[in-house]
Amino acid sequence: MMFKKLIRAELNFNRIFARGLGTKLSWDIVTGVCIERLPVVTPPLSEIQNKYKDLLYTLEVEKSMKSQHEIRHESDKVQAELLKNESVDVDLDAVSKITAQDFEDASNEEFNKFKFADIETDADKKGDKTSTERCLQKHLVMVTPIKLGSDLKTLLPQGLWKEGETLRQTAERVVQEQCGPELKVQFVSNAPCGFYKYKYPSEVNGKVGAKVFFYYANYKSGAPKTKSNWLTRNELKDILPDKYNKSVNEFLIEETY
Amino acid sequence: MFNLSLLRQFTRLSIVPTISPTVISRNVSATASLQFKITDQLWAEPMKKKKKIDPAIVKAREERRRKKLEKQIRRLEKNARQLKPIDEMEVPLELLDNFNKRKRPQPKLSAEVIEARALLQKEWTRYKRAEYMANVAQIDRIMAAQRRALEKLYEESEDLYNEAIMPDMSLIPYEIRGTVATPPIKNYESPDGEYIDISKKWDN
Repeated sequence: MMFKKLIRAELNFNRIFARGLGTKLSWDIVTGVCIERLPVVTPPLSEIQNKYKDLLYTLEVEKSMKSQHEIRHESDKVQAELLKNESVDVDLDAVSKITAQDFEDASNEEFNKFKFADIETDADKKGDKTSTERCLQKHLVMVTPIKLGSDLKTLLPQGLWKEGETLRQTAERVVQEQCGPELKVQFVSNAPCGFYKYKYPSEVNGKVGAKVFFYYANYKSGAPKTKSNWLTRNELKDILPDKYNKSVNEFLIEETY
Repeated sequence: MFNLSLLRQFTRLSIVPTISPTVISRNVSATASLQFKITDQLWAEPMKKKKKIDPAIVKAREERRRKKLEKQIRRLEKNARQLKPIDEMEVPLELLDNFNKRKRPQPKLSAEVIEARALLQKEWTRYKRAEYMANVAQIDRIMAAQRRALEKLYEESEDLYNEAIMPDMSLIPYEIRGTVATPPIKNYESPDGEYIDISKKWDN
């Protein structure tokens, strides 16, 4: 009991000590929101995946029983043979029906007529990065131009934390204010998923810099009202500042494709 | 307050009805105290005369009740045995009848093919293992990033930290639509019409 109390006291002391160090320099608390559009279409299979898929398909066919269609096809063949030999007891009604082969041909024709939507969308062709309808097989992260001091930078949407709200509420407010009510997103946690801090060139209101807490949200529908880009991982690397990109990539799912 | 329980035992034996000790101690009145008491009411009434019923009728009544119960039990048992049928588990008779006709001739595999398949299987296992390890490392990394963020938040403000670690109940139930094989066609109208589920409902 005594021991437990001692440990707790020690822990508290450590915490206070840690916080004491932090409050010596005062920082702005900023919430950044990482809005990600998940892939719409499955990524292409790699070489080994393709090979294994083919193997599974052949195995499945080998182990299967004959389907109704195959049986029908076989009986058609027998009927045709009988008809050729001009056998006496051929049921003409049975012959004049549509054969399995005809059915297959018709189905194939219908299938070929059907046009699947192109994986490469209009936005891809135009190189339009502001649309969510691009790079359907990849994760996309939204970035917006953000005014930091005097210069404009392209970062994840972010905003200052206000007294009296939780960080999650700040994150929701930031999305509302900067992207408009049209953009619908789904936050997946009350807790921040990443952290980044930077110093201001000179002190602003007694604050030496900003600590950015990232929140992660999934894109649901709508479009942001401001001009913002949806970027893949590689494009993020080019456009975000190096250290910032590193902290963002810390909590993002790595893409193998 | 000396041995009140003992006192109560004596009062039960005495003819004088129970007087609670507290009353005794507080027996202060302006008039002279009464020295005679009323006995307790017994709340009894004269016994009713028992009605005589024909034993045959009693027996019949009993029988009827038992039969009713038995019937109920039987009905319950019958319902308990009735399970929801699983259509896809029941092989149609038509298929069972020409079972042999449907057998596919097994292809003769050459030694090379068997070898190649075995090698591919091994390669696939290695590939899946590497994939799994990468996934675990990835999850580790993401969790570490979150832990770091929470630690930094704690340094900044304990209240914000406490708010941040609260579970988000609005996420339950969570629904997500996964990736698909081909991109959806906008404003596509199915030529086969709407899909309406007409399968029989089996809940009671």
